[in-house]
Amino acid sequence: MSFALPARQVTFGRSAAVPPQQQQYQQSQPQPYPQQPQPQTNGLALPYPSYSSLPGPSTGLALPGPAPAAYQSQPQPTQPPQAQAQVQQPQSQQQPQQQASPVASGSHTPAIAGPSTPAPTAIPSTPAPLTLEQQHITAVEGIVPTLQNIVATVNLDCRLDLKTIALHARNAEYNPKRFAAVIMRIRDPKTTALIFASGKMVVTGAKSEDDSRLASRKYARIVQKLGFDAKFSEFKIQNIVGSCDVKFPIRLEGLAYSHGQFSSYEPELFPGLIYRMIKPKVVLLIFVSGKIVLTGAKVREEIYTAFNTIYTVLCEFRKP
Amino acid sequence: MASAYYEFYRGSSIGMALTDSLDELITSGSITPQLAMKVLQQFDKSLADTMVKQVKTKTTLKGHLHTYRLCDDVWTFIVKNASFKMESNEMVTAPKIKIVACKNGDAIDAGKK
Repeated sequence: MSFALPARQVTFGRSAAVPPQQQQYQQSQPQPYPQQPQPQTNGLALPYPSYSSLPGPSTGLALPGPAPAAYQSQPQPTQPPQAQAQVQQPQSQQQPQQQASPVASGSHTPAIAGPSTPAPTAIPSTPAPLTLEQQHITAVEGIVPTLQNIVATVNLDCRLDLKTIALHARNAEYNPKRFAAVIMRIRDPKTTALIFASGKMVVTGAKSEDDSRLASRKYARIVQKLGFDAKFSEFKIQNIVGSCDVKFPIRLEGLAYSHGQFSSYEPELFPGLIYRMIKPKVVLLIFVSGKIVLTGAKVREEIYTAFNTIYTVLCEFRKP
Repeated sequence: MASAYYEFYRGSSIGMALTDSLDELITSGSITPQLAMKVLQQFDKSLADTMVKQVKTKTTLKGHLHTYRLCDDVWTFIVKNASFKMESNEMVTAPKIKIVACKNGDAIDAGKK
C-alpha cells in the first residue's frame, strides 16, 4: 500500500500507465475486511465493461503528451478519490454488490475526496460497503455524477377534492385558473408534489431514490390524514438528473462534427451540446467548461454508464 | 369595482370601534340596523381603497416562513420569529404572526395580525 501510492502520485499527473499497474497491485492484494456477498438483483451497470474501458480514457488523456503547466497540477485533487476507488475495486469485482446505501455513499465519497495526504492511511480503515458509485469512480478519474433531481409518479387511487386539500394542508397552493393541481411542498426530504384530482401525484426535487420514495409516502400520508382513502400504488421513478464536472474544457464543435448522429450543437440557441445517447437512453448537455448534465435516466446506473461512456469521448475532444 | 369587499377590516380596532358605536346607536334607536349595515359596507370599501391609495408606509419583514397557503386567491402565511423593521428604524418582533393577503378588485393586499 505504502509503495503503490507514491508511485501513483508521481506518475499519475498525466500518465496512462498507472491504472493498469494499480490494477495488478490490487488483484494481488488480499481483501482487508470481509464483506457479505450480496445478490446482484438489479441490472447492475456492468462493473466489468466499464472497468475494462478504463485504459481507454486514460490513454486518450495521456496522448496529448506534454501538458501545459496549467493542467499539470489539475489532476492532483482527483487523486485521492481515484486511489480509494481503485484500491477498493477488486472487492467490487469479486462481489458485485447491489447498491445498498446510495445516500450514505453520497456523503461518503466527498469525505474521501477531501484530504489529499491522509488518504493513503485512510484507505484500509474504511470499512464502508462498496457502492455502485464507488465502483464507477474507477472508470472516470474519481468523477461521479451527482444526482440533482428525481421525478416520480404515484397513484393514490382515489378521487381527491383539491380545495379541501388546499384549505387544510400546510404549504399548499391551489389556483385552478392557473394549474389544475395542488402544489404542495415538504421540508424533509425537500420536495414538491403536484397532486391532481384524479388521485395521481408527481413528486419532484428529491436527490435520491430513497428520498423520492419517502417523500411520496409522506405526501400520501398527508392526503390520507385529510380524510381521503389514499393508497400508495404505482410508485415509479420517471426521470433522474445528474451532473458533474470533468474539469477540462471541451471542443464542442469537434464533438458535434464526429458524433453528428447523436449531437445537436446550436451555440446561437443554446451554449451546450445536446448529446442523445442511445444506449443507455440518456440525454447529456455538454458545456465548453467541462460541466455535464445527464438526464432522462430511469435508474441511476444509466447515469453512471452514460457518464463513463461519454467520458471516453470527451477526452478525445479535450481542448488543448 | 362593483365587486364585494372583504369584511375582515371590521375585526381591526377601528372596525371594532365603529361596530360598537353603531350598536349603541341602534339600541338607542337613533339609526336603523339597515343603515348600520350600509355604513359597515361603506367602511369595508373605504378602508380597502384607502389602504391601497393613501397608505404609503412601508415595513420590511424577516422571519422563518413556517406555513403558506394559497386557496381562493387568498394567501395565508404563518411566520415564526418575525421581526418588522419600520421606516423609522423601529424594530417590532413577534414569535409568531399570521398574514392574510387578499386580492380585491385592483389587487388590494391586506395584512392583519
